[in-house]
Amino acid sequence: MSWLAQLISAGLLCATIATFPPIATADAVDEDPDLAKRDEDYAAGNGAVERKDWSQAVRLFQRAEVRNPDNADLQNVLGYCYRNLKQYDLAFTHYKRAIQLDPRHRGAHEYIGEAYLLTADLANAEKHLAALRDICVLPCEELKDLERAVAEYRARKK
Amino acid sequence: MKLRLIQISFAVAVASHGLAQADDTNSQTGPLGKVSFPTSCDSKVQPAFERAVAMLHSFWYSAGEKAFREVLKDDPQCAIAAWGIASILMSNPLAGQGASPKGAEQAQAAIDEGRRVGAKTERERDYIEAVAAYYKDFATRPEKERQSSRAKAYEALAQKYPTDDEAQILFALYLAGTQTQADQTYAAYLRAAAILEDEFRKYPDHPGVAHYLIHSYDAPPIADKGLAAARKYAGIAPAAPHALHMPSHIFTRVGAWEESAATNARSMEVAKAGSEPDEAYHAADYMVYADLQLARDAEARRVIDEAMNVKGSSSRFVAPYAMAAMPARYAMERGAWQEAANLQPLGSSYPFVEAITYFARGLGSARSGDLVAARKDAEQLESFHNTLLAAKNSYWATEIEIQQLALAGWIALGEGKSVEALKFMRAAADLEDHSEKHIVTPGRIAPARELLGEMLLELKQPDAALKEFEASQQREPNRFRNYLGSARAAEMAGDRAKAAAYYQKLLALAKNADTARPELVSAKKLASR
Repeated sequence: MSWLAQLISAGLLCATIATFPPIATADAVDEDPDLAKRDEDYAAGNGAVERKDWSQAVRLFQRAEVRNPDNADLQNVLGYCYRNLKQYDLAFTHYKRAIQLDPRHRGAHEYIGEAYLLTADLANAEKHLAALRDICVLPCEELKDLERAVAEYRARKK
Repeated sequence: MKLRLIQISFAVAVASHGLAQADDTNSQTGPLGKVSFPTSCDSKVQPAFERAVAMLHSFWYSAGEKAFREVLKDDPQCAIAAWGIASILMSNPLAGQGASPKGAEQAQAAIDEGRRVGAKTERERDYIEAVAAYYKDFATRPEKERQSSRAKAYEALAQKYPTDDEAQILFALYLAGTQTQADQTYAAYLRAAAILEDEFRKYPDHPGVAHYLIHSYDAPPIADKGLAAARKYAGIAPAAPHALHMPSHIFTRVGAWEESAATNARSMEVAKAGSEPDEAYHAADYMVYADLQLARDAEARRVIDEAMNVKGSSSRFVAPYAMAAMPARYAMERGAWQEAANLQPLGSSYPFVEAITYFARGLGSARSGDLVAARKDAEQLESFHNTLLAAKNSYWATEIEIQQLALAGWIALGEGKSVEALKFMRAAADLEDHSEKHIVTPGRIAPARELLGEMLLELKQPDAALKEFEASQQREPNRFRNYLGSARAAEMAGDRAKAAAYYQKLLALAKNADTARPELVSAKKLASR
């Protein structure tokens, strides 16, 4: 699933939830439920991602990163922006940081795997595919998407 | 030099005040332990102030807030009372929930008032600023960040006033509050415990020291180190419901069920009498868990019924958690799968609370053959999991994922897919091993590795089952279902001596059972073989 599609599905989920009694998700050991609400730069960075203004998104996310150095989602989205800017080394740095912060971050495993495919590094893509297979014992979209991407890559290379 | 002078003057103040403060017994609220917290306030309010601090140390927040406000009323220049109010409003620093937005507003107002009044000593002003570090930019910072700021501020306070035991004790508490469930080196807990052990030697009757030692050892491999504090704390502050409950965190970890049930019975009684419904529910859940390990099913049922009649719980998750957990435990621990299949969700606003019922119900359905119903509950668990993932609540999302995997395993078993069933169930057990339970609960509704053992037994793999049961004992010791499963696995594997030993352990556990569980009847025959 693309990052934007995830955002949209999260929005749809929120809209669905809104029709039921209020759900208390932000209590008890929440990691950081409201980064987009509480950090203007992060919120604006998301807006820039939607406009595909990757350079502006990076600038905004870097400002948010100063205040939130240990946020896996922020590292993941920074990786995504650099990936779209074709600055793969920086993309890998941020994806790896996201996974270091949250070893079970499904999105980061999917996206770094896809980034490796973009740099023709199938072996590393498959490492993250294997990691996702361990994490997603129950089916998850991230695993399906990376499996599909790897299969397509292999088909192209035949 | 200036700091040295401050330290000396503080030491003099402590000495003149007397380190061994008189027993903090009060005819209105009873004993709360011994606390010495010298202040520059009017000497008339000093005993009431220290009593309020003792309430803070035993997390008796409703009474403590009133007590600090009374102090301020009687001595409006007692600015340090504002620190007390703001400290109380942070709520349980180990639960991860923190102050409510309304509480934060009230706390900030108290801090502002404390600053305006101006404490007479630099030390008191520093205390106020230490608690203010937690509330700074409250609305725009996550709880984890507030916790970190608080720990750093109190660390600085403790370093600035090395002879101030209260500063050391509070730093240890807030340091323990930064411990995450994912860190299984227990680094923050153990660092806090080292500070508190020194204080415990000096002040064995201090309510905070014993209390925070229990929290700092509330993890499977270190729990036995907390037994001394656990056995002491309820006697230090028997007036505080939380002090009567807290020892059971350690008793549960080491499988001391009689002690757990007894101290929670007292806690529940005191909480009800003192109109502390959340504490009553919390104690009841721990008590039900303990009673069920002892096969005191009638007593567990009685406690559930009594708890469910307690009214007026807060909007926090403590009471709803217990309300959902107790009936689920009652069915699951007795292996009453059909009963579990009939559980009804509470309809609370907390997905991880609702998930308890859907998990227990789904498992009950799967294990009593209704796979259609089990699949429906599995879908609901997936929905809760997605909700928590979207909300970035990774801890509870993972807890639900463990439940999803376990339920998927039992559904697969019902479908005859044993390889898939074991894959799911093993994944659940492995995932659970890498995260600690939350302090709101005495234990997960069913330990995943124990469920794996039960599944292997059903699949007639007794050697593998016994291995899993024995591994589960490391983290969840002295459990009824574990000993039963271990005995059956050993028996099936042909190890009669080991089977008899486990049946004997089961009978010892259930020696004061109030219910004739069928398993116990057969255990009696087999234990003597």
